[in-house]
Amino acid sequence: MLTVSGLVKRYDTRRADAFAVRAVSFDVAQGEFFTLLGPSGCGKTTTLRSVAGLETPDSGEIAIDGVSVFSSAKGTVVPVAKRDIAMVFQSYAIWPHMTVRENVAFPLEAMGVNGAEAKRRIESALSIVGLTAFADRPAPMLSGGQQQRVALARAIVKQAKVLLLDEPLSNLDAKLREQMRVELRDLQRRIGTTAIYVTHDQDEALSLSDRIAVMKDGAIVELDTPQALYLRPRTTFTARFVGQADLLPCTVVERGADRLALDTPLGPLHSTVFPPGLDGTLALLVRPEHIEFRDGEAAFGRNMLGGVVQRVLFSGRLVEYVVQVGAAALRVQATSRSLKAEGDRVTLHLPPERCVVVAGDADS
Amino acid sequence: MRTIEALPAQSAAPGEVKRPIAWARWLPAIGAGAVLAYLVLVPLLLMLVSSLRPGGFPLDPGWTFANYATVYGAAGFPRLVGTTIAFAIGSTALALALGIALAWLIERTDLPLRGTIRALVILPMATPPILLAIGWAMLLSPRTGFFNLLIRDVFGLAQSPFNVFSLGGMIFVEGLSLVPTTFLFLSPAFRNMDPSLEEAAITSGAGIGMLLRRILLPMLWPSILAAGAFLLIVCLVVFDIPGTLGMPARIFVLSTQIYYLAVDSPTGVPLYGQVSALAAFFLCILFVLGWAYHRLTRQAQRYRTITGKGFRPRLMRLGGWRWVAFAGVSAYFLLAVVAPLAILFWTSLMPYQTRVTWAALDLVTLDNHIDFFANRRVLEAAGNSLTVALVAATAVALISVVLAWLVVRAKIPGARLLDGLAFAPVAMPGVMLGVALVYVYLTLDLGFAVYGTIWIIAIAYVTHYVSFGTRLANGVMVQLHPELEEAGAASGASTVRVLRRITLPLIWPAVVAIWIWVVAHALRELSTALMLQGRGNVVVPTLLWDYWSGGEPNRAAAVGVWLVVALVIFLSLWQAVARSRLERSS
Repeated sequence: MLTVSGLVKRYDTRRADAFAVRAVSFDVAQGEFFTLLGPSGCGKTTTLRSVAGLETPDSGEIAIDGVSVFSSAKGTVVPVAKRDIAMVFQSYAIWPHMTVRENVAFPLEAMGVNGAEAKRRIESALSIVGLTAFADRPAPMLSGGQQQRVALARAIVKQAKVLLLDEPLSNLDAKLREQMRVELRDLQRRIGTTAIYVTHDQDEALSLSDRIAVMKDGAIVELDTPQALYLRPRTTFTARFVGQADLLPCTVVERGADRLALDTPLGPLHSTVFPPGLDGTLALLVRPEHIEFRDGEAAFGRNMLGGVVQRVLFSGRLVEYVVQVGAAALRVQATSRSLKAEGDRVTLHLPPERCVVVAGDADS
Repeated sequence: MRTIEALPAQSAAPGEVKRPIAWARWLPAIGAGAVLAYLVLVPLLLMLVSSLRPGGFPLDPGWTFANYATVYGAAGFPRLVGTTIAFAIGSTALALALGIALAWLIERTDLPLRGTIRALVILPMATPPILLAIGWAMLLSPRTGFFNLLIRDVFGLAQSPFNVFSLGGMIFVEGLSLVPTTFLFLSPAFRNMDPSLEEAAITSGAGIGMLLRRILLPMLWPSILAAGAFLLIVCLVVFDIPGTLGMPARIFVLSTQIYYLAVDSPTGVPLYGQVSALAAFFLCILFVLGWAYHRLTRQAQRYRTITGKGFRPRLMRLGGWRWVAFAGVSAYFLLAVVAPLAILFWTSLMPYQTRVTWAALDLVTLDNHIDFFANRRVLEAAGNSLTVALVAATAVALISVVLAWLVVRAKIPGARLLDGLAFAPVAMPGVMLGVALVYVYLTLDLGFAVYGTIWIIAIAYVTHYVSFGTRLANGVMVQLHPELEEAGAASGASTVRVLRRITLPLIWPAVVAIWIWVVAHALRELSTALMLQGRGNVVVPTLLWDYWSGGEPNRAAAVGVWLVVALVIFLSLWQAVARSRLERSS
């Protein structure tokens, strides 16, 4: 549905290293929810705006449903208005001089759709986002969440091939954000559109996406499904950026077919998740919620560690512990079903299938 | 809509596509640049040429520096410069002192009736400077001035204590006339300061003195400096008040000297060569000041503390000083509006200049007012004034909006140059612009007459007020979130449709505000019209000037009264628009 290849955008043509985006390529399938995730300044918004046509890249190719909309080789630049896209902006960009209905009607007006067909599509878009009752309100007299829905309705009424969303939830408060997240996912499934979503919020990316491209410094670092990115990241950057992570330096002691024996500051550990090539510096990723307390068991055996609880952070549903294991400190997350106190001696189990070896320096 | 960054040829690495520079994207810049160049650069250039001609006209034969020698070698030149600078600095200082006090009292203290007073600040703007000067001439002239006679009677003085026809008098009246401008400049800075910044200082243990010295003043300083630079420019070029109060006492400043050389020269022939040479010198100073102002306002932007969060500024409790402050503010209004307009109204009802006494009430007559409506010359002037004002306002609004869009939004190549060119006329004295346009339309043959018609005045006003119009339009365009327009494009609308359906409706209040502002100012502008005066293009301010300088103060007063009425109507319209814009944006 969407093909982006070799996208390059410089923000300063005089400086050799001033890239906003360097050689970004990806394909998005029909009906897929695809997310560009990364910290601010990583080039995710520039990439999205290039697809929309709001930025003109310096080189590369962009095609929507097989139709080339940008090609530096052929010199094609299709203007924004002629691209088969719809977009939801971070600021919502609701036109304050129009009512809700007029805002939603605008894309149809621009495309020359009118009469009964337009009316039907407007009503349907408004009912999908649940704003039928507010249709004749002036746009500024809406709450943040309602403005968000107007922006969505305005985007889906166009029935474009690709829906582009630029951090649409970042201006909402936490509760509303979670609610809108669910609605957004349902809505995309229901209308079956292809969505490209930009965010810096990993929770949002994980819960919404079919696939996520993690970006850093203008390039895609990793591209995979949410599960794969979270459970089997290949770089320390992704491991840290997606989810909480404790990273420990490690060296390979023995390599089996599906199992590695490692030497770590915690002592010897086994891992069953590792990249095919084991070159360069390696780090061991352990996520706090994957570590299990094995009360009453002795700290012997494979991936079993003995330690002392140093700190307890109680936040209701979950409890965070810092456990001192030898010279190293390890974060452990558990539910509040059973509680430990500071100074308790505990036994920890690190499941080998959740001990992930990633490329990169643990301290960087 | 968006520009494509051109890659310099040498930076295109092998395998990368070289994009040819699209000449088409220069077209808007060239178009807008041509209009601005015609309005701004052509007059300046011809003025420069004329200063180097023996005969003083751009098409005269020969080249010479004699004009410069005459002007700068004249015995009175240092004194002329000294007077001009003293006048400018004195008036600026007075206007700043009063304006800052007023802005602080209205925006940040619990002054009684703050809201009403804020609405009334606009009133002095409805009083054209020439009327203020005439009013004060009637109040403080040494022989017949109302206040002078009053004080003489009360204290039994043999001589009048004040003489308004002096440098001090000029500074006093000019300072008063610029207070509203100063207030309008500074009140947003006072109002929009995030109170949490002050609260942070207070919770850090700062007292009032430290708060003022370390937090408030440093934060406001860029705004105050920018306002000061702007006022200084205005005072250096202003004509009305030095013309009314200084010329009778033969106290000349730059603008009145130019007027004198061009209209009233001792030889009886306009000394255009010398006028140009004089203007060239001051133009240099003014451009330096204009540049400084531009820099200062940029700096002021950095300090902008608007956070978009709704907040109420902290109001300082004045306690017992509340009513003292209120009396001070009332005194300002008395001096800047009530007294001058009252004496003007009184004089307009008198057959000749008389003292204000009960006995004189028997003389009250409406003759001057009847004459105002019956006199064909007056009606013609009023018609001309309205035509010029409406045409100029429409043109300025149109040019300003197009320029602002090109400069702020489309970011066309050469945008900053265009912006500078549009702003430059702010530093051109009205008399100088007038002279320069005389050259243009006596030199260029367009196939139809412009010189001596109202159109030459309209062109002058467009040139002059575009500098203001673009400031306002730029400000509004900057505040307009670009995503509002991008959402239009992403909806599938063409650039033209986005402009028509989204951009224009959203900035419409600003367009109206520019339009009304220009109408109000064009109605009262004197100096340019005076320089461009011919047989067929008399406007109300020049008529007023003719009556006043021709020794008919009562008729002048009647014209003044009706001018004020017209201006009050337009300015209340402006306020209404401004208020509706505020309500919409909140």
